[in-house]
Amino acid sequence: MAHNNPPHGDFCGRTRREFLWETGGKFTGLALTAMLAKDGFMANQAQASEGEKTFQNPLAAKAPHFPAKAKNVIFLFMYGGPSHVDTFDYKPDLYPLDGKTIPVKTKGRGGAKSEGRVVGPKWKFKPYGESGQMVSDLFPHLGSCVDDIAFLKSMTAESPIHGSAMLNMNSGRILSGFPCMGSWVNYGLGSVNENLPGHVVMLDPTGGPISGAKNWSSGFMPATYQGSIFRSKGAPIIDLKPPQGITREMQRDILDTLKDSNDRHLASRVDNSDLAARIASYELAYKMQESAPEAVDFADETEDTIKLYGMDDPQTEEFGRRCLMARRLVQRGVRFVQLYSGGHHNDANWDAHGDLVKNHTYHAGRTDKPIAGLLKDLKRTGLLDDTLVIWGGEFGRQPTAEYAEGTGRDHNSYGFTMWMAGGGIKGGTTVGATDELGAEAVERPLKVKDMHATVLHQLGLDPNHLSYFYSGLDQKLTGVEHVEPIHEII
Amino acid sequence: MRPVRRSWSLELSRFITQLAFPLACLLAFCTASYAQEEVDYARDVQPLLAKRCYSCHGPGDVESGLHIDTREGALAEADSGMAAIVPGEPDESEMLRRVLSTDDFERMPPEGKPLKSEEVALLRQWISEGAKWKKHWAFEKPEPQTPPEVQHPELVANPIDNFVLKRLETNGLQPNPRADRRTLIRRAYYDLTGLPPTYDEIEAFAADDSPQAYENLVDRLLASPQYGERWGRHWLDLVRFAETNSFERDGDKPDAWKYRDYVIRSFNDDKPYDQFLIEQLAGDEIPNPTPESIIATGYYRLGVWDDEPADPLQHEFDHYDDLVNTTGKAMLGLTINCARCHDHKIDPIPQTDYYEMVAFMRDVAPYGTRGDISNSRREITSPEVRKRHDEADEKIGRLQGELDEIYRQVVDKLPEGERNEARNPKKRRELEKRIGEFLPEQSKLYEELRQELRTARTEQEKLPQRQFAMAINKALNPPPETRLMMRGNPHVPGDEVKLGFPDIFEAPEPVIIPPAGGKTSGRRLALAKWIASDDNMLTSRVMANRLWQHHFGRGIVASTDNFGQLGSQPTHPKLLDWLAEQFVASGWSMKQLHKLIMMSNTYQMSSAGSEPALAKDPANNLLWRHDMRRLSAEEIYDSLLVANGSLNDKMFGPSYYPKVSDEVKAGQSQPGAGWHDSSEEERNRRAIYIFVKRSLIPPMLANYDFPETDALCPERFATTQPAQALGMLNGDFLNEQAKEFGDLLRKEAPGDLRQQIVLSLEKGLGRDATEADIQAGEDLIAKLKENHTLSDDRALDLYCLMVLNLNEFIFID
Repeated sequence: MAHNNPPHGDFCGRTRREFLWETGGKFTGLALTAMLAKDGFMANQAQASEGEKTFQNPLAAKAPHFPAKAKNVIFLFMYGGPSHVDTFDYKPDLYPLDGKTIPVKTKGRGGAKSEGRVVGPKWKFKPYGESGQMVSDLFPHLGSCVDDIAFLKSMTAESPIHGSAMLNMNSGRILSGFPCMGSWVNYGLGSVNENLPGHVVMLDPTGGPISGAKNWSSGFMPATYQGSIFRSKGAPIIDLKPPQGITREMQRDILDTLKDSNDRHLASRVDNSDLAARIASYELAYKMQESAPEAVDFADETEDTIKLYGMDDPQTEEFGRRCLMARRLVQRGVRFVQLYSGGHHNDANWDAHGDLVKNHTYHAGRTDKPIAGLLKDLKRTGLLDDTLVIWGGEFGRQPTAEYAEGTGRDHNSYGFTMWMAGGGIKGGTTVGATDELGAEAVERPLKVKDMHATVLHQLGLDPNHLSYFYSGLDQKLTGVEHVEPIHEII
Repeated sequence: MRPVRRSWSLELSRFITQLAFPLACLLAFCTASYAQEEVDYARDVQPLLAKRCYSCHGPGDVESGLHIDTREGALAEADSGMAAIVPGEPDESEMLRRVLSTDDFERMPPEGKPLKSEEVALLRQWISEGAKWKKHWAFEKPEPQTPPEVQHPELVANPIDNFVLKRLETNGLQPNPRADRRTLIRRAYYDLTGLPPTYDEIEAFAADDSPQAYENLVDRLLASPQYGERWGRHWLDLVRFAETNSFERDGDKPDAWKYRDYVIRSFNDDKPYDQFLIEQLAGDEIPNPTPESIIATGYYRLGVWDDEPADPLQHEFDHYDDLVNTTGKAMLGLTINCARCHDHKIDPIPQTDYYEMVAFMRDVAPYGTRGDISNSRREITSPEVRKRHDEADEKIGRLQGELDEIYRQVVDKLPEGERNEARNPKKRRELEKRIGEFLPEQSKLYEELRQELRTARTEQEKLPQRQFAMAINKALNPPPETRLMMRGNPHVPGDEVKLGFPDIFEAPEPVIIPPAGGKTSGRRLALAKWIASDDNMLTSRVMANRLWQHHFGRGIVASTDNFGQLGSQPTHPKLLDWLAEQFVASGWSMKQLHKLIMMSNTYQMSSAGSEPALAKDPANNLLWRHDMRRLSAEEIYDSLLVANGSLNDKMFGPSYYPKVSDEVKAGQSQPGAGWHDSSEEERNRRAIYIFVKRSLIPPMLANYDFPETDALCPERFATTQPAQALGMLNGDFLNEQAKEFGDLLRKEAPGDLRQQIVLSLEKGLGRDATEADIQAGEDLIAKLKENHTLSDDRALDLYCLMVLNLNEFIFID
């Protein structure tokens, strides 16, 4: 019996939009069919040939809107907010002001202030590479990569408070409940490796960021698109490993019996493809148990590679391990990988309210070599052409001190630095600038949605058209207003 | 617009080439959409105009002197000297010429792709038919409906069947026969209680040949306390129920569980739906509020709350937005929230409507400020207990005062330098022992007073505790003014708005009667009474549709929270209006509506496929069969506990914490924070009593599409994904339940493997085992023992795990 109909028997199996498409009247039906086709939904809905029904993977690879420059994204999230004036945004005028109280508008955890005591940058800067871009002594290894990097030195965020700023950076909104960028990317493009999740998050060993799972939530989209946490030690995915004493062969026997029983149940219900899909999902889970550990098994990596990521040094071993996992995952077609540097609260991440030198020395020390190693490794393997690497926190830090004593800086969402590399990004470039103090973006201020638009654009997705119907609206990662990618760097 | 006239022959040739294809399309779509012949402005045309034309020629935009959002505007002469639409004359209508133009300068719309040929054909047909402007169906009051005549009245059990059968007959389809008894009882149990029937209950029902058997079953289930636990959860989805605040700290909302219990009790009591709404919206403003009605106002407190907002004013208005969004969609099926920044783009909801809704709820300040949630915490202790507490407080205060007075005299006798130190409690305890030295005549009295105070304190401790609710407290009275915020930005206030109901209702001006006591303004009560009034054109339809949705897997209007023009068309509009009418006429009794639905043949049909019907209506829009469904997260969870006999049916009270693995907790910024241990007894309670922590939904629920808690969830997803299989095969929870299941089988049929397998299916699936089932079970257990050298017990446990993973366990017919 061949009929070109949607496979699901009840509404819950579909997004509201799919449902609209089926139940809508003449025009509504047509318009939505077109929208669905654009979003790749029709491909999912297509029925397999008669008889044999296959798992309709909602993460099946979909064509982009236009030819893509990048296929994958690695987002290195420096949670807590690194200080831009101490890392990539060179402010020579700030050094001599150290200790002086000057008028400057700031807003952070400690509220809005109109003056403050300057904390001069605590590290020297020097030019690197052919492009001569300035990088502080915190990142000597990364310095050697600047010709592949485009700096966004005029980033702004909508909130100077961690929780909402994290959501802003991840989902485009300061409120929770919206899908994060990784969900949008998987919704738009699917995954080319169906034995691995398409959206992977790797946390700092100290814990997740503030608001935890909200940061990799699929919001109002199905859970299919939410981030899966990969652990760098032990079984990478929750419940991936069978319980103690259960071998793969035993599990095969159990699954065979399960499948036979399910097939008997299916025999009189062949028109319900949800049943077939669930049968298939067990086989997929079984395959994942093999492919996921393989993806994070470094046995076939050379000594040289291990060293490149700094995994021979206890200080950089942990982050290096996750960077190498990230490369292996994108190599296997995982669309979106997010790594957190820093977790938990206070100085366990880049949130340097007290002793800036101690905090940033620690976090940069753990990540500089691994990140440089990742960029170099991606480049030498050719993966950098297809892989967009993003570096940054939820905001930057103020040029002035937070307290009467000490070097701690409060949050700064008025201006900070992020960078991108690979995936068609023009290396050796810089866009925008903050004022001479690094207090505020003054030249070509960029919003988080500009960064998001650039990521989607590089992946071949039109940020103004990648939409999901929810709450009476075609929701977009970048919001209601028209956005453009940051043309200067692409 | 440049008025350019083309030659007639050119017009004709274009007309012919453009027309041929669209007509074919149109015909094709007429069949696909089940005989809806005439173009409907609101359904077909208006969304197209809104999407492609309104940005220049819509409400408030009159480029080239043309706006086509009203008939008047579209028929008027534009700057070009021509009318966009000439009713009945598609070829005279400039609009049609311009959308068909192949000249880039002329073609409309100027941006994006040209209209599709089928869209153009639609416009042409609509103009040919006279370009009628009509209100969207949901914005007209429901009309009394008479159940239609059908060709096969013998297939009708009640009027619902008339409506459904009529559409089936018109489309040449036959309804499925009745489901068999065993299927029907499982369907009824899960739908009404969220739990499976026991094997014995199924067999008894199958054997009961009384004509009343099914009706008795429905009555019994509707009367069971588990009904509220199932249907209360549907309501909790709508009101974004959670017990924490989200954001950085995701702190607990004390007493949120009392709202959950209130909802369960309301469903079990068959509280009239209008009263249910009024209590939630204005339980503090009704005459004679009760603790229950105060708890009901927790409705306003369930949303997310940032205790450290970057922009407090923005956050305050996000709070009102949450209320408008939830109230609009959950109760009225309207996306009023779309009008926060501008007039609604599709529905006739101006921005003022949005802020008028805010004005009704303007006295509800946000949940709290950091460290102070007294806005949301209200005492609900009973008057007599409160009186006794007050008396006790008074007595304790008096005794303490008398003691203090004597002590003061003691202090006065101390040398100047020691008086300050005497305030120190430790010092006071020391001095109290020496009262006799300073005031010999009062020493005895002091001791007596102290004794009396101790007794008074002990007495007070014996009193029932004071009770608090998460509710509206300290409502702002008078409420602050409400201004329309330009582009939705609370920092750019515009004109003040008055109180008023959304325009589309054409309702009279609200009459605000301040409640006695003068604590609140009475605005919310006015809103509540209007929403819950018998003649509100949406409230009854929206709720009747939701009841239908949870019996059939989807609503008659599939977009259950959006009855507007971007929502879905009702598959059975007359039936919906009829149901709404019955609902109101019954005094808003949900239980009567359930019964009405469940007594129809439509509900009782089998879910079997039928080739001709699948070919004609594969999505089952016309309801020729009952749709199979996957169980919800809670149903799966509860069914596991039922299968192995460990379910604890204790109702109500504070939520419990199931075990969550360290891997899951590692995602929190402080792993384990805010997650506590509960006893095993507590952990065996139904899933509705699981603590809902916004940032930590246990995987067993999250994997099976537990709703995102930050906004209302009108329909849950039913995804199929490998994470579910991994959790069901490898997760601790499932393996523990499987072992428990094995223990039960070993206890009930010791040493008898065959009987254990038989029992496993009776308990797990509620049916007899077939020979094939028994063979499969014996084979698996034999393999596990022989090939993998497992013990009898371990092999049986793994067999049980397999049973709990069966599709038959997760899906019902």
